[in-house]
Amino acid sequence: MKIENKIILSNVFNIGLILLIGFFAFQNLDLMLTKLRFVEIADDLNASFLEMRLSEKNFLLYHNENFLVEMKEKIESTDQMLDSAGTDIIRAIGKDNFELLKSYLKHYSYIVEIIRRKAGSDEFLDARFRAQGKKLREFSSTITRLERKGVNDIIYRSKSVLFYSFLAIVAGAVFVSHFISQKILRSLREIEKLAKSISLGNFDRIEGEIPADEFGSVMTAINSMSEELRNREEALIQSKKLASLGILTAGVAHELTNPLNNISMIAQNYLELYDKLDRDQKIDFMDKVEKETDRIKEIIKNLLDFSRPKDANLKAADLNTVMQKTLKLMQNMLDISNIETKTDLGMNLPPVFIDEHQIQQVLVNLMTNAAQSMQSGGTIFMATRCCRGDSVEIRIMDTGKGIQPEFVPHIFDPFFTTKGEGGTGLGLSVSYGIIKNHKGDIRVESKVGVGTTFTIELPVYKNQL
Amino acid sequence: MSDHRVMIIDDEKIVGDMAKLSLEQEGYIVETFLNGETALVRLAEQKFDVVVTDLKMKGIDGMEVLRTVKSLYPDTRVIMITAFANLDTAIEALRGDVHDFFPKPVKIKELKASIQRALGG
Ligand SMILES: Nc1ncnc2c1ncn2[C@@H]1O[C@H](COP(=O)(O)OP(=O)(O)OP(=O)(O)O)[C@@H](O)[C@H]1O
Ligand SMILES: [Mg+2]
Repeated sequence: MKIENKIILSNVFNIGLILLIGFFAFQNLDLMLTKLRFVEIADDLNASFLEMRLSEKNFLLYHNENFLVEMKEKIESTDQMLDSAGTDIIRAIGKDNFELLKSYLKHYSYIVEIIRRKAGSDEFLDARFRAQGKKLREFSSTITRLERKGVNDIIYRSKSVLFYSFLAIVAGAVFVSHFISQKILRSLREIEKLAKSISLGNFDRIEGEIPADEFGSVMTAINSMSEELRNREEALIQSKKLASLGILTAGVAHELTNPLNNISMIAQNYLELYDKLDRDQKIDFMDKVEKETDRIKEIIKNLLDFSRPKDANLKAADLNTVMQKTLKLMQNMLDISNIETKTDLGMNLPPVFIDEHQIQQVLVNLMTNAAQSMQSGGTIFMATRCCRGDSVEIRIMDTGKGIQPEFVPHIFDPFFTTKGEGGTGLGLSVSYGIIKNHKGDIRVESKVGVGTTFTIELPVYKNQL
Repeated sequence: MSDHRVMIIDDEKIVGDMAKLSLEQEGYIVETFLNGETALVRLAEQKFDVVVTDLKMKGIDGMEVLRTVKSLYPDTRVIMITAFANLDTAIEALRGDVHDFFPKPVKIKELKASIQRALGG
């Protein structure tokens, strides 16, 4: 589910909860209001009953007819009051109690009527009269008491309901937001991890289940970006390789001229001196031609190997052999630029786990840079050394013009070049990518006017890998 | 037949061998060297009429041979051969000093004719 929907859903849930609480609170309030209204009415009733009993007492004391008339009026007005507030009272105390109250009142009024008709005192009637009045009053005050208690109960209940629902809402909100933010954080961590590894040049993917929310879309986007970057990098490596090939071809073309010239001169002599040559000489000539063709084949093979696009293919390989092959490929270009090479290849180097052609390309890039930094000749010193930790070290040192300190942080950036039209600025960035793919390291030290040293570390091949 | 002395300097052994074989047919006395150093040592003890040298060699190269010959043995002609196909500017610069210039692959007949011209024949 989308995070947006989750948030909406959790909000809807909370709003629902609040509405429900509001509804209950409203109901309680309503109930409380009717009860309070009844309590008010009951107070009035109680006052009337009190007055009735006062009249009753007076009558019993003085046996004055007037008190009975007074009572009769009171009873009637009370009865009227009961009728007019009937519905409220029924709601508060129930129909049975109401009917009971009314019947008590009626009974009371009936006794009053009898006493009035009889005129004169009668012990028995007086007693019943007193008892009925007392009963009426007790009943009404009991009900009033009960209703007061009811009101208190309602207040207490709504207080606790409000308190617990408040707790429930807070807990729900905390839980939901914690749950959602937890999911968001987990996704963010995945994305952060990948972004970091991409910035280090490893174009990995986010593995495992991709959530179906907005972060899922972000992850899918990042995955396809990573893939695209990897493809771009491969294309970049290849295009840079083709560019280096241009430089190399000049050297290689020159390299081809020598065996070609040799074959040509042998052929010219063979034709010219055919009759004067003896059998052994002729055989020797053809042997030489064959050897020179092998030389040409070897040069072409080197060049083709280098130019052919290949997927990275990591294998155990001997670094020194790779160094020598590269040097051979570069030799002519270096000769032309009047550059001397010195090598110091470490003995008993353990095999490294590399793609030979890619590493060769890195060496070509570094040596081309070195050569370009020594326009009027110089020396390139190449060394291999075992072992720094689990790595073999390569060093390419030149006696060129060096790199200005303010440029050093940028030289591995794509398209950074100080060579204007003469450079694409891709050599080092491609090399950096290749070395990082090998889980290796490349760094530079340079001093203006003295020279530059590039150091590469490559992991030793371990059988159990 | 002449008994002119010709020196050939090229780090490609076949170049010297083939040039020598062909030139000896014409009666030249030919010596071959694989580098500038040994050639200059030999030049110090023996006068040569023509020096044919490769331009690009390790150590002492064709240019240096040319300079040394021009200053120490001004009577000796120098013919330059090189595998560089387009060194137009270099050729231009050399024009006054070298007798002739041949890009590889070298036509032996042309080389022989050039040597002959160098000897004023
Ligand atoms: N050995 C070195 N000596 C001096 N400067 C160097 C050396 N290696 C690299 N640099 C500097 O780093 C810059 C970037 O090098 P990089 O190989 O990436 O590009 P480039 O050589 O300019 O162009 P390209 O290699 O694509 O032809 C160079 O322009 C140069 O200024
Ligand atoms: Mg470069």
